[in-house]
Amino acid sequence: MISRRRLLSLAGASALLAACGSNTGRGGNGQALKQWYHAYGEPGVQQAVERYAKSYTKTQVDVQWNPGDYDSKLATSLLSDGGPDVFESTPQISSVRAGQLVPLDDVFGDAKSDFSESILATHTVDGKIYGVPQAVDMQMLFYRKSFFDQAGVRPPSTVDELIDASRRLTKGGVKGLFAGNDGGGGVLGGPALWSAGLDYVRDHQVGFDDPVAAQAIGKLRELYTSDSLLLGAVKDWAEPDAFTQGLVAMQWTGLWTVPAIQKALGDDFGVLPFPKLTGNGKPSVPVGAFGAMVNAKSKRINEAKEFVRWLWIERTDHQEDFNLSYGFHIPPRKSIAGKASKLTSGAAADAVKFVQDNAKASNPPDWTSVMRTAFNDAVSRVVRDGAPADAEIKGAAQKARDELKRLYG
Amino acid sequence: MRVARYLALSMAAVLFLIPFYLVLRNGLATEQEITAPTWTFWPSEIRWENFAELFSNPAVPMVRSMVNSLVVAVLQTFGQLLLCGLAGYGLARIPYRYANVVLYLVIATLMIPAAVTFVPTFVVVSTLGWVSDLRGLVIPGLFSGFTTFLFRQYFLNFPRELEEAARIDGLGHWGTYWRVVVPNSKGFFAALGVIAFVTSWNQFLWPLVIAQDQDSWTVQVALSTFLTSQSIDVVQLFLAAAVSITPLVVVFVALQRFLVRGVTETGIKD
Amino acid sequence: MRHGRAFWLFVGPFAIGLLVFVYVPIAWSLLLSFFDARNTVTPTEFVGLRNYVDMLTDAPFLRSLGTFSVFAAFIVPLTFVLALALALLVNQISFMKAFFRSVFFLPTACSYVVASLVWKLSIFNGVRFGLANTVLGWFGAEPIAWTVSTSPPWYWLVLVTLRLWLQLGFYMILFIAGLQRIPQHLYEAAWIDGASRGWQTLRYITLPQLRTTSVAVLLLLLIAAYQAFDEFYNVLGTDRGYPPFARPPLIYLYYTALGSGGQDFGHGSAGAVILTLLIAGVTLLQGRVITR
Repeated sequence: MISRRRLLSLAGASALLAACGSNTGRGGNGQALKQWYHAYGEPGVQQAVERYAKSYTKTQVDVQWNPGDYDSKLATSLLSDGGPDVFESTPQISSVRAGQLVPLDDVFGDAKSDFSESILATHTVDGKIYGVPQAVDMQMLFYRKSFFDQAGVRPPSTVDELIDASRRLTKGGVKGLFAGNDGGGGVLGGPALWSAGLDYVRDHQVGFDDPVAAQAIGKLRELYTSDSLLLGAVKDWAEPDAFTQGLVAMQWTGLWTVPAIQKALGDDFGVLPFPKLTGNGKPSVPVGAFGAMVNAKSKRINEAKEFVRWLWIERTDHQEDFNLSYGFHIPPRKSIAGKASKLTSGAAADAVKFVQDNAKASNPPDWTSVMRTAFNDAVSRVVRDGAPADAEIKGAAQKARDELKRLYG
Repeated sequence: MRVARYLALSMAAVLFLIPFYLVLRNGLATEQEITAPTWTFWPSEIRWENFAELFSNPAVPMVRSMVNSLVVAVLQTFGQLLLCGLAGYGLARIPYRYANVVLYLVIATLMIPAAVTFVPTFVVVSTLGWVSDLRGLVIPGLFSGFTTFLFRQYFLNFPRELEEAARIDGLGHWGTYWRVVVPNSKGFFAALGVIAFVTSWNQFLWPLVIAQDQDSWTVQVALSTFLTSQSIDVVQLFLAAAVSITPLVVVFVALQRFLVRGVTETGIKD
Repeated sequence: MRHGRAFWLFVGPFAIGLLVFVYVPIAWSLLLSFFDARNTVTPTEFVGLRNYVDMLTDAPFLRSLGTFSVFAAFIVPLTFVLALALALLVNQISFMKAFFRSVFFLPTACSYVVASLVWKLSIFNGVRFGLANTVLGWFGAEPIAWTVSTSPPWYWLVLVTLRLWLQLGFYMILFIAGLQRIPQHLYEAAWIDGASRGWQTLRYITLPQLRTTSVAVLLLLLIAAYQAFDEFYNVLGTDRGYPPFARPPLIYLYYTALGSGGQDFGHGSAGAVILTLLIAGVTLLQGRVITR
């Protein structure tokens, strides 16, 4: 807190500042462990994680809340000696290969079997676990039951039905579907692949180097040109406003919006996974979990690991509170998820079932930024510009193949 | 002809003021009102409570971040005027064998985008232990090649007679600079000061990464919390924007006469 | 000898800072561009010119350089002419002069973040209650998804108007300053010689007298066009990354060097060096053409 004191004295506005309070309440001197979170949108999360940290008695822990471009900020800080000791993120193969992360297998102990396997898999690189999952997030398709009934449309179970439903539900000021202000290219690229039984990366190989991929992405283009998508809303896909304001009959968004949607619409909504393309494909929901990780540059790795163990493995009450008291997440530990009454009915129960049956990793560790950029660029050009899908997908697959060759030889 | 001129200027002025109008309108309305299908030109009822809600929002420390921005901008402004002013004078007036080499090194920095050297700069600053520290926010921004270059151009045109008079009175370079050159260049210092202040107040990427501790956020970083948080409150966002630009608008309107006069004296003409 | 000491007394503090906070990072970046530097800034694997070869054959990067050369060729003259026009208009009036000058200069007080906010969320959002779509609605037109549509690419309208709004005032002030330095007797002499007050004095007196200001303004505009980042990032960027349209070179390099899931400083730095050389080249070329 050196900076704060300095600012105080220099500003000569101590009275003004005193009113603002402090977010740690303790004078730090470099002895405390630094723990980083990105800025969660739900009110109360920041106070909760600070409360957890404060109740840890073995070491002092200072929580830092990071708004803005968290990924870039974290990446920059991990390169220097001034980075956090403990932070939340999803492990990436590049960070592991560069030796930036500490393996945490020994932190789990007996509790390992209590964590959902598919979630642990997304935190595993080259056979070692690098993050303790904190909370599971997932995305799915929300639809207005009353709008569907009025139009005589059934909830879609294939991609073609989805496009047809979106068209038929578009009338007056209401659009069929909202899937992001970029026209769905950003969030639906993955689900489109999965709908055709493909994936980003599969067993160290490109998972979408297949003519069917072009067909699946072509469907997103069909959706985009159907004139039934909402585009350019004030808030993007991650927030429920377009859906709750009745601007659309369907919206692709996340589990975290369920409380807000329930409050606005009561029972007048249902949820679906992204449908399958054809008989070979499968419905899917993208799933991801931030995990607590330890910085290999930390000078106090053991204390950091011990704190992570205490916070996310020993204190199951914290995990429960973190997942269920503020926004809406699925606890990664089966024992906690199983007894959460909030998750046993309605949309939340459906979501839990989708995660069990149709989960796909939204951000697998070996899906690097080079591959992601190449793939997203290709999808974006196909969807928004009408570029030929097969050529674009082939180009992206080539980039991904080079990158995977570099990673795995 | 005169009418046409005023007509053109008035139309341009209206266009230029629209964004300011929107910031105020959106910041003082209710969310229902600004997302309504029919346009309302002004909130039917101004919600002054929006201010209270903004300033009491625990996630976004508006007051503290404004104070931080002010401290950083003031220190950076005076620091730049001091360091770049001295350097510009040295480059313009003190004959020295390697002066040209230094000058080219200064000009070269203008071409190189700061975003490029961003990560190494961060590593250097963090090695010094200046993360989340006032020093990290202020000091790396003091060495502006642009400001130094402008100072040099200005001092090249400074009337030599004044300096020679000082020399006859027995003053060296140092004495001449402080007793004669600076007092006779107040307008120019004020003009570059305003530009430095605005640049500092509006910088975003560097404070985002260096001001990690919430207590050291600047107002631009606080604004970005609104933009990126999962549940942005549009009304508060616009109100925060309005609050963040108010100090600068005041400074501008108060000092703009100064600014034009100052820029008129710049060396941009050579 | 005495001069040397005096020189460093004046320039020394600045030079030391420039060295530590500007030139050390520049040298460091340059070094990184010759190494395989993934997720590290202290790389060990020297790769020679490979990063440069990769970047010079990287289609998205080349496309981005191409797009922004076109952007520069468009925005630089546009800003130049409009800023000069505003300066001439403001300079010729006497009543309410300070008012108009203030109004046009005021946007300079706004950060790119604030301007992007207004443009993206209030003027050019894609729903009915956006200002642009409201105005269209008065004429019975359908709402347009301004920042999404690629055919026609309306997002350029959004980005160009934003940039003009933010920049015009500053360059207008530079021009006004230049205009006020033109000696009045030149005009008087021209009028006596029978020059008309409008076009001819502009062509034969004002523009030649503004030449040095013009060179400076063009230089600054050109560097600013190639270094575009903020408003593009804030208007078109999403949490899913940046679309492959209107992608400034710096944004592409930013994602290469700091993207989530892999920081590649070798390629990022090599791209930066290429961009810097391009800017320097175009600047020199422009200088040649103008001072010819």
